[in-house]
Amino acid sequence: MTVSSIEPSPNPTVPASTTVRPPRRLRHLSLADVIVTPAVLLAVLAALMVYLNSRELDDIEQRSINWPTISRLLVEHIQLVAVSSLLVIAIAVPTGVLLTRPALRHASGPILALANLGQAVPSIGVLVLLAVTVGTGFRMAIIALVLVAFLSVLRNTIVGLMGVDRALIDAARGMGLTKTRVLFLVELPLSVPVMLAGIRVALILNVGNAALASYTNAGGLGTLIQAGIALNRMPVLITGCVLAAVLALTLDWLAGVVERVVRPRGL
Amino acid sequence: MSFAEYLGQRWSDILVLGIQHAQVVLIAVGIATVIGITMAVVVEHHPLARRTALTLTGTMLTIPSFALFGLLIPVFSLGAPPAIAALVLYAIFPILRNAVTGLESVPADVVDAARGMGLSRRGLLLTVRVPLAWPVVLNGIRIATIMSVGIAAIGAAVAGPGLGRLIFDGLARMGGANALNDTLAGLLGVAVLALILDLGFVLISRLTTPRGIRV
Repeated sequence: MTVSSIEPSPNPTVPASTTVRPPRRLRHLSLADVIVTPAVLLAVLAALMVYLNSRELDDIEQRSINWPTISRLLVEHIQLVAVSSLLVIAIAVPTGVLLTRPALRHASGPILALANLGQAVPSIGVLVLLAVTVGTGFRMAIIALVLVAFLSVLRNTIVGLMGVDRALIDAARGMGLTKTRVLFLVELPLSVPVMLAGIRVALILNVGNAALASYTNAGGLGTLIQAGIALNRMPVLITGCVLAAVLALTLDWLAGVVERVVRPRGL
Repeated sequence: MSFAEYLGQRWSDILVLGIQHAQVVLIAVGIATVIGITMAVVVEHHPLARRTALTLTGTMLTIPSFALFGLLIPVFSLGAPPAIAALVLYAIFPILRNAVTGLESVPADVVDAARGMGLSRRGLLLTVRVPLAWPVVLNGIRIATIMSVGIAAIGAAVAGPGLGRLIFDGLARMGGANALNDTLAGLLGVAVLALILDLGFVLISRLTTPRGIRV
């Protein structure tokens, strides 16, 4: 998540007079960024296969470690992450925009403070609280995931929009743009990097918390981890853990690539 | 039973779990602090090593906590050890990152002046750079602590100690009399503990920031 902020420093050995440079949005992507992570993740999956093949799986293990079961749990996990992440973006970004409009701007300070406080609430607590009070299943898990990840996107949307230089907004207004056009042509594009960072954090939170959704009957790869612990079957446990970790790292890597590609030119 | 009655009856159990929770977190953050600051000092003159260290420890944060706790079971079996080990792995990154940033942000002329006064590299580190970087380093430790308080709640899934037990008790008793009370007590307990530790850091920061750079 935060790794994205560690950019390589500009290479001092490249002469400043270099005239032919690739377009900026491609320069953000080095070969290493594109290749290293997938290669490592594939190696991890290969190691998992070797480990599982080297063992004689007993009945209980075979019931969990087979392709139909694993692919079903993987799809469930991805559904949990995709639906919750899209909902978070769809709710948090407009809310952030509203809270930075002049009429509501005074409310954003207290809400940021509340957002920081909300981070102290454990995700498993939110999941279980909803399960105990409302019910279990896919929808309840989605609501819990959205509640937990909502704040990081909201906070970054507010921080990003507040960070836009007032002078730029004044200049755009002076050029005759309406407030709406200023929002869409100036403010939102300029706050995209901060907003994307928040969305990436939300995505990672959702992958991690979706692993806990199995406790409330919403499926996902946590099912394997939970079964591995309950039945004391290490191959089941390790398969669930490795697959969940690889899924999280894959999504983070994809988000990092998307983050660099969609970053507006000039920033 | 109302939540107030429940708290009246169970407060001593909840307090014990809260103390266990704080212990697990503080032990983990203590270990992570030693590792993180040592790493920051070791990698500071090697940009490639620094980048690698930050990337690797940062990647840890991406791994789902339930998966990391689970992966440590074959190594440490069940209970407090896998919970502490997982928290250490998570807590290194914020501490390392802030230690690196803090050490880098010490003004070059201050370092020059100290060298000119004849301080050795170690003397410079211990008497000038670490004290000046301290507020940033301490903030890294604070962030790691608050984060660990929340993650430690999941430690109960691997039979780790702490307030997460109450949450999992609530889940196990779903539909029963105290399910909601257990869950609420666990959830609010974790949030309150995070607040208390956060306040503790405000106090530590007041007491340990060198006088010259106090705001």
